[in-house]
Amino acid sequence: MAERERGERRGKGEGRFRRRGMGRRKVCRFCADKTMLIDYKDSRVLGTFLSERGKIIPSRITGNCARHQRHLTLAIKRARTVALLPFTAAYP
Amino acid sequence: MADRRYETLVLLHPDLGEPGAKELAERVKKLIEDQGGTVGQMQDWGLRELAYLIAKQRRAFYVLFEYRSSSKALLEIERNLKLMDRVLRFVSVRQAENAPPTPPRPAAARRPEREEPEFEGAAEFEGLNEEVS
Repeated sequence: MAERERGERRGKGEGRFRRRGMGRRKVCRFCADKTMLIDYKDSRVLGTFLSERGKIIPSRITGNCARHQRHLTLAIKRARTVALLPFTAAYP
Repeated sequence: MADRRYETLVLLHPDLGEPGAKELAERVKKLIEDQGGTVGQMQDWGLRELAYLIAKQRRAFYVLFEYRSSSKALLEIERNLKLMDRVLRFVSVRQAENAPPTPPRPAAARRPEREEPEFEGAAEFEGLNEEVS
């Protein structure tokens, strides 16, 4: 898992979220798709907003708007208390 | 006092077995009703893998209750849930009045949980920190 992270790490500013110059602006996925609801029971959707170590990915990376990021973190934390999502990377 | 819409997700001990879990779920349902709640739906998700160990268990039976009750009743329900030692954990959430009821989930269809599409930004996560701070 660790190698993967290192291997895929790109050079500075190479990522697609870079704003300077001809960067592509990411839009909030929940704003773009109104039918997509944030639900703590939906571990599949929430899981996509976790890093490999189980940390919540900041909105500056995902492009979520502040409102949805707020709802998302709350949902992730609820999902964690009922073990639908991990607090940290999975145990071996 | 106006009744509110709540939902509670309860995790039951895997040692109960399928019939034991059903029985305890019924008891929880009865508990809600005894407190003046009306259970809208009771959803059995079956035995699921836990994301981390709880009480040294790898799995638990998940049961979801959707109901209406007063907030006082909710407190009493939660207090009783805490007393049940076969209940590993639960979470109660107030639902919006206009929220659609949780669609039933076929327990089997949710099995392949492992192959989750990874978020595209995940790989860049570590690298980006340097840039910002």
